[in-house]
Amino acid sequence: MNAWLYVHAPQLLLDTQLALQTTAQQQQPQILLDGSRVGARQVVQCNQAAAAAGIRLHMAEVTATTLLADVQLRPYQAQQEQRILAQLAQLWYQDIAHIALYPPQGLLFEVASMLRLYGGFEGLLQQLQQRLQEWPIRYVVASGDTPMRARLLAQAGCSLLSNDARTVQQAVAQLPITASGLEPLHITRLQQVGITTIGALQQRHRSALGKRFGRAMTQYLAQLSGELPTPQQYYQPPAQFHQQLDLLAEVASWAQLVFPLRRLLQQLEAFLQVRQLSVRGLLLRVTHRDGQHTEQLIGFAHPVWQLKDMLGLTQLQLERQQLPEPALELALRAQRLEPRQQQHNDLVQASAEVAAPTQPLGELVSRLQARLGERAVQLPQPQRDWRPQQAQQWQLWQATATSAGLMPQLPRPLWLLDPEQPIDPQHWQLQWGPERLASGWWDDTPCQRDYYVALDQQQRQGWIFHSQQGWFVHGWFT
Amino acid sequence: MAGSPNWAPVALHCRSSYSFLRAASQPKELVQRAIELGYQALAITDECSLAGAVKAYVAARNSPLRLIIGSEFQLPELGCLILLVQHHQGYAQLCALITQARRRAEKGSYQLSAQQFLAASSNLSDCLLLWRPASEAAFAEYHELLQQAFPERLWLAYSRHYQANDAEQYRRYVQYHQQSGIPVLAACEVYYHQPERQPLYDVMTAIRCGQAVTEVVEQLLPNQEFCLRSSTELERCYPMAWLAEASQLSQRCQFSMSELSYQYPAELVPAGRSADDYLRELTYAGVTQRFPAGLRSDVQEKLEKELGLIAQLGYAYFFLTIHDLVQFAQQRGILYQGRGSAANSVVCYCLQITAVNPDQIDVLFERFISVERDEPPDIDVDFEHQRREEIIQYIYQKYSRERAALAATVICYRLRSAFRDVGKALGFSEPELAHYMRHIDRRDHQLDWQQQLQQQVPQLVSTSRGRWLLQLTEQLRGMPRHLSQHVGGFVIAATSLTQLVPVENASMPDRTVIQWDKDDIETLKLIKVDVLALGMLSALRKMFELVAQHHQRPLNLASLPSDDPAVYEMLQRGDSIGVFQVESRAQMNMLPRLKPARFYDLVVQIAIVRPGPIQGDMVHPYLRRRAGLEAVTYPSAAVQSVLERTLGVPIFQEQVIKLAMVAAGFSGGEADQLRRAMANWKSSGELRQFEQRLIDGMLARGYSSEFAQRIYQQICGFGEYGFPESHSASFANLAYASAWMKCHYPAVFYCALLNSLPMGFYSAGQLIADANRHHIPVLPADIQSSQWHHQLVPLQQLAIRLGLCIIKGLNGERCRELLAQRPAGGYQQLQQLRQLGWSAAELQQLAAADVLSKLSGHRYQSQWQSMALAHEQLPLFAQVSDSDDDTMLPAPLEYHDIGADYSSTGLSLRRHPLALLREQGVLKGCRTAAELPLLRHQQVVEVAGIVTCRQRPGTASGVTFITLEDETGLVNVVVWLATARQFKQAYLTARLLRVRGILERHGEVIHIIAGRLQDGSAALDQHQLETKRSRDFH
Repeated sequence: MNAWLYVHAPQLLLDTQLALQTTAQQQQPQILLDGSRVGARQVVQCNQAAAAAGIRLHMAEVTATTLLADVQLRPYQAQQEQRILAQLAQLWYQDIAHIALYPPQGLLFEVASMLRLYGGFEGLLQQLQQRLQEWPIRYVVASGDTPMRARLLAQAGCSLLSNDARTVQQAVAQLPITASGLEPLHITRLQQVGITTIGALQQRHRSALGKRFGRAMTQYLAQLSGELPTPQQYYQPPAQFHQQLDLLAEVASWAQLVFPLRRLLQQLEAFLQVRQLSVRGLLLRVTHRDGQHTEQLIGFAHPVWQLKDMLGLTQLQLERQQLPEPALELALRAQRLEPRQQQHNDLVQASAEVAAPTQPLGELVSRLQARLGERAVQLPQPQRDWRPQQAQQWQLWQATATSAGLMPQLPRPLWLLDPEQPIDPQHWQLQWGPERLASGWWDDTPCQRDYYVALDQQQRQGWIFHSQQGWFVHGWFT
Repeated sequence: MAGSPNWAPVALHCRSSYSFLRAASQPKELVQRAIELGYQALAITDECSLAGAVKAYVAARNSPLRLIIGSEFQLPELGCLILLVQHHQGYAQLCALITQARRRAEKGSYQLSAQQFLAASSNLSDCLLLWRPASEAAFAEYHELLQQAFPERLWLAYSRHYQANDAEQYRRYVQYHQQSGIPVLAACEVYYHQPERQPLYDVMTAIRCGQAVTEVVEQLLPNQEFCLRSSTELERCYPMAWLAEASQLSQRCQFSMSELSYQYPAELVPAGRSADDYLRELTYAGVTQRFPAGLRSDVQEKLEKELGLIAQLGYAYFFLTIHDLVQFAQQRGILYQGRGSAANSVVCYCLQITAVNPDQIDVLFERFISVERDEPPDIDVDFEHQRREEIIQYIYQKYSRERAALAATVICYRLRSAFRDVGKALGFSEPELAHYMRHIDRRDHQLDWQQQLQQQVPQLVSTSRGRWLLQLTEQLRGMPRHLSQHVGGFVIAATSLTQLVPVENASMPDRTVIQWDKDDIETLKLIKVDVLALGMLSALRKMFELVAQHHQRPLNLASLPSDDPAVYEMLQRGDSIGVFQVESRAQMNMLPRLKPARFYDLVVQIAIVRPGPIQGDMVHPYLRRRAGLEAVTYPSAAVQSVLERTLGVPIFQEQVIKLAMVAAGFSGGEADQLRRAMANWKSSGELRQFEQRLIDGMLARGYSSEFAQRIYQQICGFGEYGFPESHSASFANLAYASAWMKCHYPAVFYCALLNSLPMGFYSAGQLIADANRHHIPVLPADIQSSQWHHQLVPLQQLAIRLGLCIIKGLNGERCRELLAQRPAGGYQQLQQLRQLGWSAAELQQLAAADVLSKLSGHRYQSQWQSMALAHEQLPLFAQVSDSDDDTMLPAPLEYHDIGADYSSTGLSLRRHPLALLREQGVLKGCRTAAELPLLRHQQVVEVAGIVTCRQRPGTASGVTFITLEDETGLVNVVVWLATARQFKQAYLTARLLRVRGILERHGEVIHIIAGRLQDGSAALDQHQLETKRSRDFH
């Protein structure tokens, strides 16, 4: 009985990228390059069009691009592939409870009970394959009496599905030693003494091997044969809060939903408390009589976890909303869960210029946003640029967490006119200047201006400039 | 006061490109712009450096502009200091200060604290100091100290660039002046010569920060005012009094670089003697050795003429210095050879600097040292590459580090590096840049790189960012990046070098370089002694030693029998693997066509396969004339005098220069400019200015325009790779010596070459294959009989026993020690090696290379056993008895052994992999290399071999030469562009290549013109046959 199944997807990242492309795009040759190892960047994944032109895995970048000058190159990103692997596990978690992640490209399934359920590999694989309809990745799947045997077969590209343990064992014994998964140095050493298959390795005395290769080798052999169980860390889906309530009677407005919502929020508070989490957003979904849904997103400017905060802010935001039709059912999903210790730092960063305790400011903004809408609360954000137009930009409150550095102290009016207004220099009395700004050649709005501080006829101090277009006032100091 | 007629602008604080990415104009551009704007003085003040000073001097001499020498120092506590030189003494003081600051820090940086500066200030009595205080606090703390240190020589350097804090700054300087009485002047800080360079300067700032321009905006300057400004603009910007102050200061700076005079080291001449006398004495002492039969009268006449010239120009010390070095080399038994323009003289031959008998070659000495040209003679001396360090240490010891240092090489931006750095600064990603770069073919002579990009990636040029990329890359090209050390050019001075030029640390420990490169040295007529390394000299010395040891025949370079017909016969067959300079594939093909039969033919042979003669299309005319297929004619008697030695066809660089004079009417001075332009052609493209002048001159004198064009092309070729007759003659001497050895003592020849690797063109495996073809037995390395190096062992004939040095990763010194303790009867068992000190790792390397099999049976078994002897015996397995694993492992198959040989030593003495594959029937229908000479010209053939070399010479457009190796020899394959494209994958990546094509035969030279390429590497992979790496497109 082979209770283990291993899926190896050697081109997981590239295949996932291809799945998002049009057919015409997919037929362009594409390769992923890994530069993390020493030496030149190497091809680690390639699509069929690239392979057809003679590009092979582990080929140096320069060779690949000489073969095919127009090949699309992208860097291989291990972390991204690992996230994709987790998504894949999430997808199949619906069918299989015991999934272990073998990053970057492998998943191991414990399938003893599943086989009974699906009546063998055939049925199980069909079920797995069905989940991948929108996501065509290339993979090899192999069965094994031990996790390691299943893994080695799949990684070697040998898709052997069998109920017979001996068949699997024989197939593994024939695998070349390079497919053993042992460390490269050991593989070289074994090749140097003519041990070129896993079977040949198993034939040597284990103690003689231990003497030469150490405990790791005997452990390896014991895990291969199953004498030593391989501990597995099974996949756990991430924490989620999703609850719904049958309203029992039709409810016509959001205001009337506050009471049932309170119950859901109580549950959420408990959920957050146990996990020491906070939340930055809620998704409310009501179901109408005809089965249609209406959704309402509630955002918080700072993370919250207490019932009174969540309820208060939600109420404020719901006040302005209307329910299109009466509701029969209410569901609540928590969005953007964060560990609690993080939130303190975030607040300090978000508003460094506020010396007072930051909590009230965050609350104020939350309330303002709740009343006026998220886009209505903006913050002037200084940008690192010599050009005055570029130096001041408005940004959403939430986005201000990453504050740009400041330019040196420059005499600038607090308020800039947008657009600048043409003036007659005759009516102005220059006080100081020029400050000559010639910068920004690198984008589409280069600036070449001489700025002056000057008084107009009403003795108001303004900031005026001269450029090829003439004279303008750009702001007022008084 | 505006427009005052007596006032002309000065700029006292200008950084040039030699401040490395801190300024965006070359010294020459600054000087020229200052002259255009009517400046009276310009100070080049690079940061802690005088690296740009000579370039500025060259640009400014013969102009009314006063060039002031100075340097900028950034001290965090003090602010910015600018030191300007008044007189010669001040110059030496500044050099000393820069040297101190540079020597204290790592290569490329300097260290100078306020305290160190103040301490050094008593030695800056002839320098003027301009100061830009870091802050008011810095001013308060230091102004009195600086006033004391620089009485009447201290100014506050005010600059104004229309920035937001101008007024504040102005008030502050006025206040400083009121507080301290230190005068203020307008320093005019300049980072580029004209405002259009602002983008380049911004990009340089970004490159220094390693970020994109948009990410470092606050570090960029807000406008373009850091350029050289006109007098009107300056008058608008500064108070006239401050401008006048600067102008007055500039009058005090009287020093000119022309005052620097180089003094030869004098200690080589015995007290009371003149250098000329002493040189004459040494030369005539040499005459008795070199010409035991006495001097012929014409040679004597030549010698006297040379001595006269040397005395007239005062170069006796230079010859004595080199004589001293080669004397030392002789004492140490280090082989050497002089070359260069002055080397092929009777004097050098008598002083034993060269071994080329000037009788054999008619190179006029005065052509290289001439009265009119007045420039230092050029002699390079090559030493054995493994022992050059001894010579360098001798120089340091004899003259001290104070007085001797290496010349610098200025590393400049090339197209690729500029494109990449500018691209990154503009925010392009590396893959994007690599993608664009692939569309640039530097060998395309029709379109320049910008045009190529415009044609092939128009979408790039359609964006403004793309246009900036092109424009700024072009501007950045040729800008200096950093100083590096010259390969071996030493400057030796009579007294401390730092009186002459600042010295800084090189990246190699214990090496110092001066801040000037070879052009600067030439400009200032300093003497540079080139101490170079040459592998063939090491090999030759070993050959002489082996001949003495095994054949009891003492030989040296000068005593080899000359013009030996057997040697030339061998070369005419193209049998030249391992022979100096004529072993490349192109040379091997040329030998049977040129058929060298005497020494001077070798001189031509070496020079003819070079870009100069090839681009000038001079090769075929020469070969036709030599073969008697074309009459040797001269267009005029004047040309005849230049080209007589080479059958009327110009071959050498000197000949085309001389032709420019006699056939195009160039004056001596113009010819000299032409020679210099050739030397700098790659970096500056200066040659174009001579094209029209040359062609017009030749047409006017009745030469055909076609001939004139070819001469110009040849000149361009020399620009890529200059090759004068004098070098060729020295090389020919070594070529002949190594060929003579190969011809008469082949075992000695291969053994010495193998022991001198890496050098030359071929790997150990290829040399051994050639030795096999010459029936020299080569025995495998073996722990019982090998030494570290390869040895000759007398069997029925001399055989080569390979040494353990072929094993990758072994440490030579340790191995030699351990081999010294090898028991007389050899080792008895593996365990004994371990006991005698070989480490477990070493044992495994030995086992992998199969040198232990005499002890343990075969390679697998010796490795298995040596693994068990690892030091780190694991407690758990310690009591595992050997009975557990006393079963013998199966012996390796032949192809496993071959593969393992290659992977651990890079060569195998077993059968060639191709022999194996042929035996298995994989190569049906393929001819071997040995069969090819028996086949017809134009016959269709199929061949297969391991790819050992892919070469695409710049001189042959679109054609690739691929060398294949099979068990019988080498096959030369010619692949035309279309074929290469059609079979791209096999062409680029195959390790084993099958080629179907047409056999072409020219005399003894055989090529296969490829029609079809097929990748046969799978056959190798199937047997895990590792082979050595091919040398591709080097």
